[in-house]
Amino acid sequence: MMSIENKTLLFPKGGVPNLVSNDWQIWSGENEQADMPTLTMNSTKVLLPFSMWLTYTDTQHLDSALMSDAKQGRVGVWFAPDDDILKHAQCIEAGKALWPVVAAHFPIFKDGRSFSTAALLRNRFNWQSQVRAIGDVLIDQLLQGARVGFDAFDLRSDQNLDIALRQFDLFSVATQNSWREKRTQLAA
Amino acid sequence: MYKYDHIDQTLVDQRVIQFRDQVARRISGTLAEDEFKPLRLQNGLYLQRHAYMLRVAIPYGLLSAKQLRVLAGISEKYDRGYGHFTTRQNIQFNWVTLESTPEILAELAKVEMHAIQTSGNCIRNITSDAFAGVAEDEYVDTRPICELLRQWSTNHPEFAHLPRKFKFAINGAKEDRTVLLCHDVGVELKKNNSGELIANLYAGGGMGRTPILSSLIKQDLPWQFIPSYLTALLRVYNRFGRRDNIYKARIKILVKALGPEEFARQVEDEWGYIKNGDDNFTQHEWNRVAQHFTRPAYQSLPQLSDEQLIQCALEEDKKAYTRWLERNVKPHQVPGYSSVILSLKPHGTVAPGDATAAQMMAIADLADQYSFGELRVTHEQNLVLADVEQNQLFNLWRAAKRQFVALPNIGLLTDIIACPGGDFCSLANAKSLPIAKAVQEHFDNLDYLFDLGDISLNISGCINSCGHHHVGNIGVLGVDKDGEEWYQITLGGEQGSQAAIGKVIGPSFYAEQIPQVITSIVNTYVENRHEGESFIHSYRRIGLLPFKEAAYKNVTKKFQADIASTKESA
Repeated sequence: MMSIENKTLLFPKGGVPNLVSNDWQIWSGENEQADMPTLTMNSTKVLLPFSMWLTYTDTQHLDSALMSDAKQGRVGVWFAPDDDILKHAQCIEAGKALWPVVAAHFPIFKDGRSFSTAALLRNRFNWQSQVRAIGDVLIDQLLQGARVGFDAFDLRSDQNLDIALRQFDLFSVATQNSWREKRTQLAA
Repeated sequence: MYKYDHIDQTLVDQRVIQFRDQVARRISGTLAEDEFKPLRLQNGLYLQRHAYMLRVAIPYGLLSAKQLRVLAGISEKYDRGYGHFTTRQNIQFNWVTLESTPEILAELAKVEMHAIQTSGNCIRNITSDAFAGVAEDEYVDTRPICELLRQWSTNHPEFAHLPRKFKFAINGAKEDRTVLLCHDVGVELKKNNSGELIANLYAGGGMGRTPILSSLIKQDLPWQFIPSYLTALLRVYNRFGRRDNIYKARIKILVKALGPEEFARQVEDEWGYIKNGDDNFTQHEWNRVAQHFTRPAYQSLPQLSDEQLIQCALEEDKKAYTRWLERNVKPHQVPGYSSVILSLKPHGTVAPGDATAAQMMAIADLADQYSFGELRVTHEQNLVLADVEQNQLFNLWRAAKRQFVALPNIGLLTDIIACPGGDFCSLANAKSLPIAKAVQEHFDNLDYLFDLGDISLNISGCINSCGHHHVGNIGVLGVDKDGEEWYQITLGGEQGSQAAIGKVIGPSFYAEQIPQVITSIVNTYVENRHEGESFIHSYRRIGLLPFKEAAYKNVTKKFQADIASTKESA
């Protein structure tokens, strides 16, 4: 079994699933991470909670260091399941030029709200760069995630990567459209 | 009947492979039970009180004789030789093992069947009118839309983990035989003035602990747009339905909280962005599916009157046969044909809706012989042969009698809808099957039952309401009080186009009091009815009170003594 430590499973649209090392740190925004990370100091890349981004980029509390880091491509955001992304359409449109990666969080694998978040990012916002699944991401949700719009997965640390990599070609047909392909019936 | 193409077949075959791997990981211990549970549920596998139960989908209740034989075979090979037909037109096997499930699913896949999404927090098996395509009062044959939506909802990725289960019903007839308004989404199909197929959509209905009839949220939607509109509707629900409390997670709670107008506005808003996309059904897709629902090779036959039908019977059979014609035979669109309901509610039955393997095999033969090899499952847990030549009705009746499925009790007091209850289900607070049995045995007199006429009696073993007690004229609900099984009575529920939720009459009863209580209720009807007035109409005219008084009057002494002793011991 391959070690999952710091691995991200990438499955680009039109590509093949593969593992890469994960160079994004996820900032929870809770407890010791309640303050902004100092990025320039240790040259990491960070996914911030979307709510935190909203706070620190508000015109009245603009964090210029954050904006500077963001302009260097070192900041992305992650959406909590209850972030209503449609209410922040302008901010997300602007984020297209700033965030190399966005993520949607699964507090528990059976909370399907982030599936709709990913679908909206792809369909409504026409989001082209990476959308990553983070949190309680399990093998058996990979296929669904890949179809709604995720193209990167930070699997929970106990998941078997060999089995994970085999999930994506389980089905050669689909009976509804997805981000990756139209339903098979339309080609028939 | 629909025939799988290579896409459908590939999908169910690959689904078996996927589940086989998930089961293997569960057995080897690398997949924890908590994480396996939603996976097995989405393949119809429940863990019940004594064993696993497998719920197999019978999409919109349509079944071939060949499929029924395979179900019979599965019940013998993997279960205890019987199956239970459910209120959602599915079949359940109560005694399967986890290890055998992939094999069962592989056998089902060979006859174009599966157990996909018969449970779990996803879009469930779609239900419809058991008489679709043959009912005399039909506006639109619902089956092509049912099948298109079956395909659309199967393995839908975005809606695989909804806040809670999600049930569609689809009706296309004047009378509603689907309990449409008690579904998360009800699709009512009709034709507009130009003859185009359109849909009215109702949302937010349900039974359970908060019974609500759904609200009309979209009118005159052209059929092609149904999937994009449903995508918008489900997306709103997926994003905003409650997930903090399982009892408040159904869409009915969201629709109620927002108000139907605001909910409809949010769906409409979302739909505005996607309605012109290619989620919509195409004419090509319609044609591909609808070609399977053309009429079978009907003969050109004269329509026979009741008198002519009865003349076919032997003298000694005339009374019984006439009763069967009256209750179990329904009018058909085509002259010279009828639809026949086979009763799975013999008096003193083990469980309403049960059929043994031998019965299933024999009924499959009847379908082949009398009804083009097809059957339907009703939500009242009976079976239908939809296309029977009238001149064969007497022969069919005699053959059905030999299988004990010819009792003329359809729509009568003993045609009880009941969930499996505490005998099987780990959710149940109380048993429902012994109550059904006791009532059937107590009212085992056909003259009396015929005199009472149409009365529905529905029994649920807990507030999840699988036995549809909320919409029974008489509803019985099992409740748990300090570890004891009690039964609450509701009155005035109804299914159909006059759908209504029943009202609770008062404190609960003991199991052994139920036949007496129902007798009192029924007697109140008999004493008060006008000429030709059914139970529900009398109830509506005179109200709950006379029934309530009668129900408690005859049990009061014992009841009060029991309550007193309960209080003392508490």
